[in-house]
Amino acid sequence: MRDVYVAGIGITTFTRLEFALSEIASYASMMALKDAGITEVDQVYVANMGAPRVNHQTALASAVVDSLSLTPAGAAAIENGPASGGSAIKAGFQAVASGMDDVVLVVGVERMREVNGLEATDFVATLTHPIAEYIYGVTLPAHAAMFTRLYMDKYGVTERHLAMVGVKNQNAALNNEWAHLQQEISLEGILDSPEAMTNNPYVAEPLRFFDACPVSDGGAAIILVSEEKAKELGRPLIKISGVGQATDTHAVHEREEPTDLLAVRKAAADAFEMAGLTPDDVDVAELHDAFTILEIVESEEVGFFPKGEGHIALEKGETALGGKIPINVGGGLKGRGHPVGATGVAQAWEIVTQLRGDGGERQVEGANVGFTCNFGGFGNNVVCLTFEKEA
Amino acid sequence: MAREIYAYKCRLCDTMHYPFRMVCKNCKQNDFFEFDTVPLPKEGKLLTFTRVYNLPPQYEVPTLGLGIVELENGMRMLGQLDIDEPKAGMAVKGSVEIVRQETYDGYYGMVFRSA
Repeated sequence: MRDVYVAGIGITTFTRLEFALSEIASYASMMALKDAGITEVDQVYVANMGAPRVNHQTALASAVVDSLSLTPAGAAAIENGPASGGSAIKAGFQAVASGMDDVVLVVGVERMREVNGLEATDFVATLTHPIAEYIYGVTLPAHAAMFTRLYMDKYGVTERHLAMVGVKNQNAALNNEWAHLQQEISLEGILDSPEAMTNNPYVAEPLRFFDACPVSDGGAAIILVSEEKAKELGRPLIKISGVGQATDTHAVHEREEPTDLLAVRKAAADAFEMAGLTPDDVDVAELHDAFTILEIVESEEVGFFPKGEGHIALEKGETALGGKIPINVGGGLKGRGHPVGATGVAQAWEIVTQLRGDGGERQVEGANVGFTCNFGGFGNNVVCLTFEKEA
Repeated sequence: MAREIYAYKCRLCDTMHYPFRMVCKNCKQNDFFEFDTVPLPKEGKLLTFTRVYNLPPQYEVPTLGLGIVELENGMRMLGQLDIDEPKAGMAVKGSVEIVRQETYDGYYGMVFRSA
C-alpha cells in the first residue's frame, strides 16, 4: 500500500449560502486545487447526503467535475449520512494507496437551508430505522436526548457539562473566520440567568438549543496525492497515516449496552493501529459534536479518557486550547456548523490547517499528530482518521 | 382483535430480533424468511425518554414524548409516550395505534402509557 498525503485544502464559509449546490462544492474545490497548485486530477469524490431530497439534484459528482473543468476525470458521489465526508476521504485514500490514482479531489458539500428547519430535521431523520424509529417521529436530537439521559444517570454528566462543551466550542468558532456561529455565549446566558430558559429552550429534553449544532450550508475540499506527487508539488507533507471505519446496529435500541458507542471505539482503534499510534500521541482532535454530549462520549470511546471520565477532563480544561488534548479548536460542528456531507472533510481541513501551523489564534503549539472522528447515523457508521506531519 | 407488533424468531437458533432483519444476528445461517413471527410483549419498563419540541412537519402537535422501553422478555423497542411525567424505570403498557399520518396513510406503532 502506498502512503497518501494531503496536498491541498479548501473551504467555504459555513452559513446560509445563496449559491447552487454544485457552486458551493466547486468553490471549496477551487481553493483546494489552487492550494495544491494543480489543475488536473484523476478522480473526484463528492460527499453529500441531501442533494436528491433537499436540492432536487442527482448525480452531483458529474455536475461538480464539469463545473471545475476537470473532465474526463472519474467522478462519483458518496452518500453515507453524516459520515459521508469521512467515507469519501477513505475512498480517495484507497484510490491513491492502491496505486490506481495519483491525485484525488475529495469535496464534501451540503445545502440544507434551501428548505425550512422542520423539513431539514425530517430529512436528517430519514437515516433512522424506517419501521422501528422513523415512523414514531424520532429525530437525531431525540436520539441524542435519550442517550444523554442514560449517560447522566450512569456517569453523573449534568446539563452544566453539556453547556460547558457548547460554550467552549461556540466561543472557539470566534477564532475561525469560516465558522457559522460568530456570537460569544456564556454559562450565565445559556444556563444560570433568569432568561436562560428563553435564550436556551429545550429542543429534546434534556438537550437544549445550545446543545445542538446549527443547520448550515457549506463545502470543504482536500486533495489527496501519492508520495511522489506530494514531493513534486512541494507543499507541507501531511500524511494520512490511519483510517478506521466501523458500523453498529441500525436501530439504536438493539445495542447491548445502550451507553456504548462501539463503532466509535472500533473505528478509532483501527485507525490508531494502522498508524502505529496511541490516543496519547494525538496533539489536536476533531470530534463530531453534532450534540454536546457526543464530544464527551467520543473523547472516551476513542481513548483520550477512560469511559465515564470525559466530563471530568472537560471540567479540568483538558479539552480546551492549551489543555492536554485540545478538541474542536475551530469550533467543531457546534460552532463551525454542520453541513452534513461537508463535515467529515471540514474536520480534515481543520487538522491539516493545524499541522501546517496555519491555525493563527487557535493554533495548537507543536501540533504534529491530528485525529478526526466523523460520526454517522446515531453512531451506526463512523470513520476515524489520523494525520501526521512529516519534517 | 388487538393489533400487534412482531418480533422475528430465527427458526434455526431461536434468537429473537426486532426489528426484522434478513440474516440472523446470532447464527447467520438462516435461509430467506426463515423466521417465525412472535408478538412483542406490551408490558415493560421505561429505560430512557425525551420530549421533542422540534418535530418533522407531519406532526401537528406542539411536543411529542418518545422513549425506549425494556419489554418483559428482555427485548427493547422505541415507542411514543402518552405520559405526562415519565420517570426512568417506571412500568408502562403499550397499545398499537397510528403514530404517523401522511396524507391518507397512517403508520401503526406502539404508544406507551403508565401501567
